[in-house]
Amino acid sequence: MTDTRSQPGPDDEVIVELVPMVRKIVASRIRDPEVVDDLVQETLARVMAARSRVQGDTLEPYAAVTARNLVASLARGNDRARAKTHLLADLEPSESPAEDLLRQEESSLLAQALDRLPTEERDLLLAHEVHDQDTRSLAEHRDSTPGAVAAQLSRVRAKLRVEYLLIQEQVEPPTDRCRPVLRAISAGDRRRQRELDAGAHLLGCDCCSTISAALLDRRASAPRDDDVRVPISRDADVVTARQRGREAAARLGFSSTELTLIATAISEIARNIVRFADHGDMVIRTVQDDRGRPGVTIVARDVGPGIPQLREALQDGYSTYDGLGLGLPGARRLMDQFDVVTELGKGTTVTMTTWARRTGADQPTTGPGRDTGSRDTGTRADQPPTRRSRGDDT
Amino acid sequence: MPGPEPPGADRPLNVSILTQGAYLIVSIHTALDDSQMLQLREHLIAQVGRQRSRGIIVDVAALDVLDSFATRTLTELAEMARLRGAETVVVGIAPEIAVAMVRLSLQLNFVHTALDLEEGLELLGELTGLSDREALVRGSRRAD
Amino acid sequence: MMTEQADMNGLLLPELVAHLREHRTALRQEWATRITDAHLLSSMTAQEVFSEATAVYDNYVEVLETGSVEALQHYARDLSERIIPRGVETHEVVGIVLLLRDVLARSLFEKYHQDFALLNRVLDAYEPAANRIANTVAVSFVDQRERVIRQQQDSILELSTPVLQVRERLLILPIIGVLDSPRANQLTEQLLLGIRSHRAKVVVVDITGVPDVDEAVANSLVRTVDASRLMGADVIITGLSAKIAQILVTIGVDLNKVHTVGDLQGGIEEAERRLGFQVTRISDART
Repeated sequence: MTDTRSQPGPDDEVIVELVPMVRKIVASRIRDPEVVDDLVQETLARVMAARSRVQGDTLEPYAAVTARNLVASLARGNDRARAKTHLLADLEPSESPAEDLLRQEESSLLAQALDRLPTEERDLLLAHEVHDQDTRSLAEHRDSTPGAVAAQLSRVRAKLRVEYLLIQEQVEPPTDRCRPVLRAISAGDRRRQRELDAGAHLLGCDCCSTISAALLDRRASAPRDDDVRVPISRDADVVTARQRGREAAARLGFSSTELTLIATAISEIARNIVRFADHGDMVIRTVQDDRGRPGVTIVARDVGPGIPQLREALQDGYSTYDGLGLGLPGARRLMDQFDVVTELGKGTTVTMTTWARRTGADQPTTGPGRDTGSRDTGTRADQPPTRRSRGDDT
Repeated sequence: MPGPEPPGADRPLNVSILTQGAYLIVSIHTALDDSQMLQLREHLIAQVGRQRSRGIIVDVAALDVLDSFATRTLTELAEMARLRGAETVVVGIAPEIAVAMVRLSLQLNFVHTALDLEEGLELLGELTGLSDREALVRGSRRAD
Repeated sequence: MMTEQADMNGLLLPELVAHLREHRTALRQEWATRITDAHLLSSMTAQEVFSEATAVYDNYVEVLETGSVEALQHYARDLSERIIPRGVETHEVVGIVLLLRDVLARSLFEKYHQDFALLNRVLDAYEPAANRIANTVAVSFVDQRERVIRQQQDSILELSTPVLQVRERLLILPIIGVLDSPRANQLTEQLLLGIRSHRAKVVVVDITGVPDVDEAVANSLVRTVDASRLMGADVIITGLSAKIAQILVTIGVDLNKVHTVGDLQGGIEEAERRLGFQVTRISDART
């Protein structure tokens, strides 16, 4: 709580005048009207709190920056914990000098990245992001449509992200294909990624696989901090992959039977990579469905010869090596979702997911309001509301 | 006579093989990969021939999965061992592994199964017609 | 207690919080009364309603003050856990938080009605937060309810597939009711755990009480037999009607692999024979 006290009156009016501008900034970035309300309020609250520190004529830019920051941190917060977190106020601690330094460094990187963009694209981006021109007025200027401008903006942003990361990692892409592939990944353009055969390129290119990891991390809708990647080229890697898969699923509370089913499916698929494709990798990822049910997704990729007769390969008993031919159909039977994309001469990607059968069983149950005691106000929220206890100060 | 068997390949095989009279008792201590499974199979077949064993018990309780390859290798082991005069009993299949195996329609042909080592020994006695004493005597005669 | 000083530094929520703290007793009482009037939480005593109302109220104020709904979530989950077994319905929970919202909004209106602009700003600050709180409580309740329902379903499943030990190393699994795929899976898992813990060598699965045996059920039975055998236990299936036997043959189930005996009694006798038990009447010894 702040100690600043001031009289209501002129100050408040200055603040109120900011409302339309702040609302416009927030509403242009966020759809949910309730969230817009929240952020507008929060922005105003922050501007008021900072009132004494901010010069009169800089109040407006200050409010604009605050609003944008709040929108950005809300987006980050959403990425971290979708759905369940109701962000009433941004509780991030106030910035330390070290953070300030970091931010300066960040903006220097950003400036360098911007420098690498063609002038026209840079101008467009700056006009929109910094000078806050909306896509319609930008389109009028350029004899274009708002939709086309928006699409162009998103391509430019994707490009900027790639350049930013390249500068940050201090690498120069080794091949001509690197930048197009990275841009397609940055933009989340799956069609373009397929055209470029991005998966195969990533397997072969260390630089791109590092950069794309950062890009994918940013694009992820669910928390992907615990993505596990296991390179597969030898028999022993098969064991490693299924153990990692089991560990990841165990953290989500899968039953021991489910864990074994997942590990077995991984084993079958990883073996296929070793047998047919020489090398590839597996990414084990924990996911959530719309209803918050946890699951494990395994993406197995290789740059092998591809599967010539996929339909047959998915049937029991089919095999090109002298086994029981249970690799693909077996794994499919063990998992809830199973998808194979294969291209001759290019490689194969198997994506499979299993959802936990029961959720909730592992939810912690904490005592009634035990930790909700308000600290200095003297109210009695810290009294556990058991059925026996009746209300106090009546 | 008993003791861990040195593997022939690059990585140590975390398996102990105990000669108990006419039987070989094999305990797998960790997950094995495909080449290690094959290595174990070769090793056991050779040993059955050398020792004229009448039975093999493979304890798989420590294996994390019994997938198609592991199952096939065990089946082949049992088939080859039978041609050399030994029956194979796999013991220690955990409930969740059994579930996964039937989901995959995996069959352990030629292989007998029992709950644990004790049951496995009893089953081998029934299968080979050897009493415990006979199995041991034969073993001690062979041990020189 | 928060003093009544003019806390007018322009931050609306703190002012609001102060107001709610100051009038805690009256507002809480009014809320509890309105809950009773609306016949909400009718399965609880007035005293219980009041004490829960107190806790919710204080949590509510705390959320407004700190902006963090975490504590409220914990409380709401706990509250739900307590009231769900008593038959409190979702609409009641939603009803009471909406009532609280109204009670508080009304009091804000009374306080600020002279200054319309200020009132609007206060309400603007209050409403999104209040909605968020109502939402949090309702979501916690529904989540908790679903969890309870799931747990009940699970325990019903477990209850309906009892694995019984009749003799050393002999288990009986009488299946009664529809055997769908989740239940068949659950049953298999339970049976396998039972085989391990009882060191069973023979299991009699009686399916007399299963109304419909279709291909899927037959397949899952075969899987149960196979899985049991992998753990060293033989399965005898009893109560298999001619019709079911026909289905098994039609779908290519190898009946040699599945040992069947007409009825449960016969199955148990067969199992005992295999285990080497000899069953004799002891009626002679009685007299």
